[in-house]
Formats: sequence, C-alpha cells, structure tokens
Amino acid sequence: MPPLPDPKGVFLNVPYDEEFSSLYVAYIVGLILLGLVPHLASEIPGGDRRLNRIIQLIQSCRYSIHDLSRVELNVAPSATPRFNMPLELGMTITWQILNPNQHTWFVCESEPYRIQRSASDLNGTDPYIHGGTVEGVFRELCNAFPHDRAPSVPQMLIVYFLVANALDSVFEKNGTRNPYSRSVFLDLCSLSVSLGTFYPPGKPAV
Amino acid sequence: MTRPVAHITAPWPTQEEMEKSLGISKARKRALQAIVNELKAKLSNWEEAPVTSVEPEKRRKRASAA
Repeated sequence: MPPLPDPKGVFLNVPYDEEFSSLYVAYIVGLILLGLVPHLASEIPGGDRRLNRIIQLIQSCRYSIHDLSRVELNVAPSATPRFNMPLELGMTITWQILNPNQHTWFVCESEPYRIQRSASDLNGTDPYIHGGTVEGVFRELCNAFPHDRAPSVPQMLIVYFLVANALDSVFEKNGTRNPYSRSVFLDLCSLSVSLGTFYPPGKPAV
Repeated sequence: MTRPVAHITAPWPTQEEMEKSLGISKARKRALQAIVNELKAKLSNWEEAPVTSVEPEKRRKRASAA
C-alpha cells in the first residue's frame, strides 16, 4: 500500500505548451496562496517509467486538478489530439474509485459544456470553468478550495503579475526557457511562497 | 451534475512547511534571493500605493491649514 497522501498536495495535470504557460503560472501562484502544495510530473527525477512516476505522484497527493481546456488538435502537421491529460485523469479516477477517502479530483475547462462533447463519459461531473483567463483560474481555485482565510483574487493577481514578470530572470538563472522544467517549476513555487508571506492567512482582502 | 469541493481542515502551513513540502532547498532559496528581494520591494510599493495616493490630499489640507 502506498503511504497516506500529503493532505496539502495537489497534482497538476496540465498541458505543457507555451500558450498555456500563463495559466500554468496562475495555478502555481493560486494553489500556493491557498496554502496548498502543487506537484508536476516533470518534478520527479527520471529513472523509472514515466507512467509509474505519474501514478506515484497521484497517489502521494490528496487532490488533483485536470485542466482539459486545450483539447484542440495540434496545428503542426500531422494534427494530433492531446491525450496525456485525459489519460492521467483516467488513471486518477481509477485510483480515487479504489481509494475514495484518499483522493479528490477536479476538472477544469475554459468553455462550458464542451467537456460533454470531448469526454462525454464525464457527464455528471461539473467542471470548473476558468474561461481561459488568469483571473478565472484564481476564481475557480477559490471555489474548489474554499477557505475563510484565503487571500482575495485581486491579491492573487498582484502576486501573479510579479511572478510572471520575474519569469525571464528565472529562465536566465536556470539556462532554459521551458517553464515546465523541474528547476523553473521549483523556482516559481519558491517565489510564490516568498511573496505569499505578504498575504498571511486571514489578512483582510483588498 | 456534481462538482467536488475540498473542505480543508488541516492547519494553514507555515512558509517553512511549504518549502519543505515543495522540496525547495536552502541553496535554491539563496540563489533566488536577489529576485525575491526585488519582487518584495515591488510588492511593498504596491501595497503602499493606496496610501501614497492619499498624500496629495493630505498635502493640500496641510497647505490650506497653513
């Protein structure tokens, strides 16, 4: 049996592409400001088969967020659908059914009702609709993880703006422009934690 | 339709607990210190912005009192 999951751990199942990077940073900032700990498949060191590492990460997190907002076909030839996010969602659902008290999963989308066409087996599960905006991600995170002591969405937006503006410095420090790389992910988390101290839990919203 | 909601009961983590859970090393924190200081300075100014915006009003009052 795997160990009990981290009660603050959130596995982030998101597309690793450039167009999604602003929402990806928003998820990191938002989760950390809500006192949660985001985890990404790319942060696990290699060595084992990728799928094994992902299932271990899902098992180690109490929650997971599956963003299915980018289901479009890749424009580069040959047009290919993106199967990774639904695949990892399927693995998570299986784990949650087998261990109902150890995991809760959330589905996010940018458009209402689209999921009923793209993944009709999920009918009966209402996704969180962020509208493809940073503000929408913060709003939906606050809906999914309600807490009286959470910072406000405007406060989250300020921290996001600062972290996003530091992205070039973080890229330069790590010698990569890939925001999903392990080192950049950890730096973004570290920056968010440091700035989060400006908004201690319970501080009145701006 | 149902939408899950997380009701978190665990206490709010401290900065140290967050960093430990995320696996952020002291070396990584040190390497980021310059960026953190810059961002914190910007955030401080941001927080103070509403206060400074009152300054002209205060100055006007002071001037009219004089």
